[in-house]
Amino acid sequence: MAGPSHGMRARPRANLGINTVNYQALRRLGAAQGGGLFVALIALGAYFTFANASFLTRSNLLVILLQVSVVGTVAVPGAMLLVAGKLDLSVGSVAGLAAACFGEFNKITGLPLGLSIAGALLVGGLWGLMNGVLVGYFRFSPVIVTLGGYAGASGVAQTITADATRTGFGPAFAVLGNGEVFGIPVPVVIFVTIFAVGVYCWYETPIGRHLIGIGANPEAAEAVGVATRRLPCVIYVLSGLAAAAGGLIVTSQLDGASVQIGVGLELQVLTAILLGGVAFNGGRGSLWGTLAGILFIGVLDDGLILINIGPYVANLAVGAALVIAAGLDVLYQRIERLPMGTIEAVPSRTEGAGESEQSETVGVQRREHRRSDALRSRH
Amino acid sequence: MRYAPGTEALPATGNNTAEPASGGNGQALAVRDVSKRYGPVIALRGVSLDLRRGEVLALVGDNGAGKSTLVSIISGLTRPDTGEVLIEGEPFAGHGPKAAREAGVETVFQNLALVQTLSIAENVYLGRELYRGGAVGRTLRFLDKRRMRREVEAAFDRLGLDLPPITAKAGALSGGQRQIVAIARAVLWQRKVVVMDEPVAALGVRQTEAVLSLVERLSEHGVATLLVSHNMEHVLRVAHRVVVMRLGRKVADLSLRNGKVSGMQLVGLITGGITEADL
Ligand SMILES: Nc1ncnc2c1ncn2[C@@H]1O[C@H](COP(=O)(O)OP(=O)(O)OP(=O)(O)O)[C@@H](O)[C@H]1O
Ligand SMILES: [Mg+2]
Repeated sequence: MAGPSHGMRARPRANLGINTVNYQALRRLGAAQGGGLFVALIALGAYFTFANASFLTRSNLLVILLQVSVVGTVAVPGAMLLVAGKLDLSVGSVAGLAAACFGEFNKITGLPLGLSIAGALLVGGLWGLMNGVLVGYFRFSPVIVTLGGYAGASGVAQTITADATRTGFGPAFAVLGNGEVFGIPVPVVIFVTIFAVGVYCWYETPIGRHLIGIGANPEAAEAVGVATRRLPCVIYVLSGLAAAAGGLIVTSQLDGASVQIGVGLELQVLTAILLGGVAFNGGRGSLWGTLAGILFIGVLDDGLILINIGPYVANLAVGAALVIAAGLDVLYQRIERLPMGTIEAVPSRTEGAGESEQSETVGVQRREHRRSDALRSRH
Repeated sequence: MRYAPGTEALPATGNNTAEPASGGNGQALAVRDVSKRYGPVIALRGVSLDLRRGEVLALVGDNGAGKSTLVSIISGLTRPDTGEVLIEGEPFAGHGPKAAREAGVETVFQNLALVQTLSIAENVYLGRELYRGGAVGRTLRFLDKRRMRREVEAAFDRLGLDLPPITAKAGALSGGQRQIVAIARAVLWQRKVVVMDEPVAALGVRQTEAVLSLVERLSEHGVATLLVSHNMEHVLRVAHRVVVMRLGRKVADLSLRNGKVSGMQLVGLITGGITEADL
């Protein structure tokens, strides 16, 4: 267990830590990976602003937010799952199932609007609970379980609706997808609220670090008492609920409950999360990065239409951005791995009597070095 | 507050009472007749041992003797087939790592339980974070990140550990530095019993020294330590007593106080060359 032996003779102090090259600057550059996307986002926005004067207007920005609100809402629990090394591929189908159930409840069963909405959310939550129990508690593979849900949920939806689309839910329900609060579209309000709650949970409560721990080192997380089964299970329930809410929003916007709602949602969500720098295998990532990913796709789609370049190019651009993000991720990991200093080479016993003197001081030595390094790194 | 770091309990200067506390019933940990099988492999066969407050008990034995299995049972990660573990007379077994921690056992695992993508401070408090501002903060589980960082920093200072900034990610540490953090965590959260499975196996001379002196200081402050080690020199230096394991059995349980047991004899016991009766 010896670090590079250079510097050992030159610096025979008995420290346990940092005394070599300071990689902080490089590391900060790497930490910008999530932030890097924000920079790209601003650059993209600046370009579109120059290209088309109507880009940077309140109404267009609200259009962008409205466009991403469903993907964004589902991406909040989605990012939490992915950083914990889990995945929910069933969100699109669950959104469709919730929409279909809502249509059946309201139009066929004749339940009032409120109960129909609650019923649809319940269906989403229960599907999430099933995913959560199988993946969280029974440790089934998340990909396989939720891929099963991807097929299964739309199968159920098709069965109960016989592929019929229900329409005409009335003006009260239309508010959910088309209404405004203080001039801000309701879906945007829902997305922003859920994202804000997500930020609180991720950064200000133990949830974020626990999810990262589960993703990076499940044994270690388990050993220190992190709820490695219950926590992912709860997030799966939230993912199901968010998917159902998304399905209801789209149903309201279309005034039609169709099993087609939510098709492809899981991949849009996954793209935004990965673009935002959450590692596919979990353990690394941030919710702010995910926001950058969500907005990046929204701005790209909107801006390219504004400058009269079709949606096909937008798809291509998102694909390219994703591959670039994957490359940046590799780079980022390299930077993270750079040593924080070395444990010094083990001196041989013959190296002189001075050794034992030094080891006696081990308990009380040289904290100035660490202090100053700590200060340097924080300012 | 259920979880409070025991930093105050480790002043910079210890009063040199290397004697384990013996007043009253000083028993910190008792393992009673624990057995564990893994399919055809019998990892532990009816092992019992006692550990008193302030005592350092070394657990030695060849590879596969069952030391890590015993550690895992004491730390609540593995459920024994038979037998029980008592912390200060209270039985606990197989209720999970959280129960063991709450009962007062802190463990440094052989394979380092740190999360590489979290910072040093985040790792130290992982699973028992501090919350802000009274009942409301606790209900909302509002993290007190500043206080956690401050306490970790202060405690590392007090222990004289020279480590990279505590905001550095654990993945950026060397193996030895990570080991130090894992041990420091166990020390900061000192409970009644600290269990270390080969804590110095990957460490250089100075880091080893730092760890051994931590063990001695723990003992001075009444913490019972179970130390798994392959190094007889370390065992003879810091341990008050040694338990020798062989093929899942406890084959010897010796006091090291009188200095009559030599490293050679311990090696003989481990390999089965001699028995306790030969001493
Ligand atoms: N999870 C497990 N599954 C199957 N067998 C196991 C398991 N854990 C331990 N064993 C077996 O139990 C026996 C004791 O293993 P243990 O890890 O306790 O040994 P040890 O004394 O810690 O050895 P070392 O000094 O190499 O760390 C070994 O034969 C091992 O193969
Ligand atoms: Mg072992």
